[in-house]
Amino acid sequence: MIKTDVVIIGGGATGCGIARDLALRGVHHYLVEKGDFANGATGACHGLLHSGARYAVTDPEAARECIGENAILRRIARKCVETTGGLFVRLPGDSKRYRDTFLTNCEDAGISTEVLSASRALDLVPELNPSIEEAVVVPDCSIDPFRLCMLNAFTSRHKGCGILTHHKVIDIVRERGRCTGVKVLDRFTSQIKEIRAKIIINATGAWGDTLARMGGSDAPMTLSKGSLIISNHRLTNMVINRLRPPSDGDIIVPNEAVCLAGTTSIPVDDPDAIEVDSREVDLVATQAEQMLPRFGTTRLIRAYTGVRPLLKAEASDSRSISRGFRIIDHNNGMFSILGGKLSTYRLMAEKTVDAVIKELGIKARCKTADIPLDGQDELSGYPLSKRLKGIDNIVCECELVDRAQVENAINSLGIQYIGDIQHRTRLGMGPCQGGFCTYRALGIMQETGRLTPEESIEILKEFLQRRFRGIRPALWGDQLREEQLVESIYLGILNMGQQA
Amino acid sequence: MSAYEYDAVVIGGGVSGIMASLTLASEGFKTALVSRGDPVCCLSTGCIDVFSHSDKPLGGIRALLPDHPYSLVGEKGIVDALCFFLEIMNEAGLPYEGDPGRNRKILTPIGSVKNTCLVPQSMAHADMPPGEYFHVISFQGIKDFFPSYLTSRHRNSTYSVYDAGVPTTLGIAARFDDATFLDAFITWLRGLEIPHDRVALPAVLGTIDPASAMEKISRAVGRKVFEIPTLPPSVPGLRLFRALKRVMQNRGIHLYWGKEVTSVERQGHTIEAVTLATTGRAKRVQGRAFVLATGSFVSGGLFAGRDSVRETVFDLPVAVPGERKDWFNTDFFSAGHSIERAGVRVDRSFRPAGAKIDNLFACGSILAECEIMSFQCGHGLAVATGVAAAKSCAQGLS
Repeated sequence: MIKTDVVIIGGGATGCGIARDLALRGVHHYLVEKGDFANGATGACHGLLHSGARYAVTDPEAARECIGENAILRRIARKCVETTGGLFVRLPGDSKRYRDTFLTNCEDAGISTEVLSASRALDLVPELNPSIEEAVVVPDCSIDPFRLCMLNAFTSRHKGCGILTHHKVIDIVRERGRCTGVKVLDRFTSQIKEIRAKIIINATGAWGDTLARMGGSDAPMTLSKGSLIISNHRLTNMVINRLRPPSDGDIIVPNEAVCLAGTTSIPVDDPDAIEVDSREVDLVATQAEQMLPRFGTTRLIRAYTGVRPLLKAEASDSRSISRGFRIIDHNNGMFSILGGKLSTYRLMAEKTVDAVIKELGIKARCKTADIPLDGQDELSGYPLSKRLKGIDNIVCECELVDRAQVENAINSLGIQYIGDIQHRTRLGMGPCQGGFCTYRALGIMQETGRLTPEESIEILKEFLQRRFRGIRPALWGDQLREEQLVESIYLGILNMGQQA
Repeated sequence: MSAYEYDAVVIGGGVSGIMASLTLASEGFKTALVSRGDPVCCLSTGCIDVFSHSDKPLGGIRALLPDHPYSLVGEKGIVDALCFFLEIMNEAGLPYEGDPGRNRKILTPIGSVKNTCLVPQSMAHADMPPGEYFHVISFQGIKDFFPSYLTSRHRNSTYSVYDAGVPTTLGIAARFDDATFLDAFITWLRGLEIPHDRVALPAVLGTIDPASAMEKISRAVGRKVFEIPTLPPSVPGLRLFRALKRVMQNRGIHLYWGKEVTSVERQGHTIEAVTLATTGRAKRVQGRAFVLATGSFVSGGLFAGRDSVRETVFDLPVAVPGERKDWFNTDFFSAGHSIERAGVRVDRSFRPAGAKIDNLFACGSILAECEIMSFQCGHGLAVATGVAAAKSCAQGLS
């Protein structure tokens, strides 16, 4: 049995942010996560660090929080944030009155704006629809959610706290009505571990109600599915928003070599049973195309979807529900943090930890806004020169990941899961979406003895199914060609369809 | 613009287009072949799958629905076309073997066993009686070949690793073209204790003539030797294509390689000429008849838009199965996605249905209802329909 002060459930941005906050205030803790970091909504969002402008008209409170956190994260998380800047573009037919309110509200919230003529906007982003009326510059940024989680968790590891990914909570231990620990299943060894703690923090996003119920309480939420698509090219160097009341498919965010466009907003019941619908893909692609016409002809490499955990409200339209957050003290040793968004994860963590340490009777000031994230110096980033060194032994041709990087991930990071290798090396993130390199990476994994040959083939099958689910709704054009080629490899050359 | 004139112009340089042009040339017609580039058969196993979905290819074909293109060829037509293919490959110096009446087995890099019909001689010994095992030779750092996948499925099999100095299959194959490299390899191999009667290697025994290398190794170590086709870019697919191309050149077929059709001249019910983009002047290629063999989606003969499918050269009517959301099943491993049935419908003479063109014939995977992935019939269908469409075209010409 493991003993600690606080157990955090959930390895998304909020959970990892809480871990770092606790670490900096000297509170011992364990974080448990059923998958890898950023497994839920954190990893399935735009990767947009909001300036707050998107909420300026509909939710001024959220707008103010966003611009505050935006400034902090640019400072403390340099290796996760790309200061792209953002544009709100007004297309013919979009209300001019909305634009005026937008500018006034941005000013009230403290969000800097600059109005550009269409031609100046086109100078900045040449792929913009040339018929735009005008554009407004705001300080939106692109942010890497996975890296953000990893670096937040780094501080905890560094200070001797436990970060257990691939550990699923199967039960919450209760004594006399009070939550005193969790039982987790180590998904790799199938071993069950018990962790005892004074406080349990439920930071599981869309799964919040399920966990709260395990603890004997509840955490009512509205769940809303948001689907996004990824283009094969980086069509813009700035975040592009539509200057109109928030709606479907009106944000495009550049990220590394690709662009993400979304989202939709559809109420759902079960966060584990969601899939992208091909109509959602069409909707988002059509909307994105209006801002960046090339979105209509560029190859889409994948569609994905995540579930927003929104605060329960009467309104039935999930877009009008507040993106604000709430901390619930269940008065049984468990706290739940609900709602919120990636951009304000640090603030959410701060407020949660404030409440928790009060309960623990500790006095310590939050330092997360002042100290840059640990571990950033060690991050090499993505220099091409480094990636070309191993050119003779490239495993992933799309992202130039060589055999040494894969072996390093397996041996020194002790990685057991193919998905973890992909997250940490970018293997399989390019146009073929792992169609060629996953087979190789798994082959290397079984050569190192991490997996048996049989296990690695099973994992390959699971991977191909999962990959196909992500690609299927966006299959046309060149991506369809690539998909048929991948099919011919696995079902044809390797004959995996017939083989049990 | 310069103009050229032929009896028949074949568009598409894959197996079906090449077989069509060889058929036309052997009947004495002045033939040209236009290809945008090297075909996707370079990415294949190099084996001729006629109908790998069942053990008996012809039996499987008999059970197909009448709208499958194989039914237009007929059993005799299929067998004759495959025999013609075997002749061609003998002439090319890359002999194939097999029997249209029965499928044989080859091994895959993950150790599964696959049905196919005609194989290059270098893969013949992969068809083993049950209970027989083999010794695998792998190569240091080779990317797509992991011998433990084979030995885990074939429990008594064993393996050794040779350092060829390069990690890619194409690179290793190029080394095997060199006699000194082959000799050094054989010397190394003779030093091994090989516990089985058969030796298996990834398909790297040279880029042109694997059978001779195989013979030499086999004699030296006293074992049967066979190759295992690897993932693309794969050597056996490349060998097949290059061999076929050599025969076309020998037989006087005019090749327009790396050229794309940019426009089509149609007069009433007749295609008169196509224009090719080249690095220099555009070329106008005139023909009395045309054969369309541009393949399906991967090759670019068909292109899927968001809601429709287009034939890319003549804009022929395309049969599309349902809406996009239904094109693919939800299960990756369940072959038979309905999009596989998309393509150009033809009449009994291989003329595109509903196009009202008298001198155009279509063959290969561009044909509707062929479902190549479900039935595993790619190259077989290409050979059979390539020859059949060309014969129909020849009839039209004479």
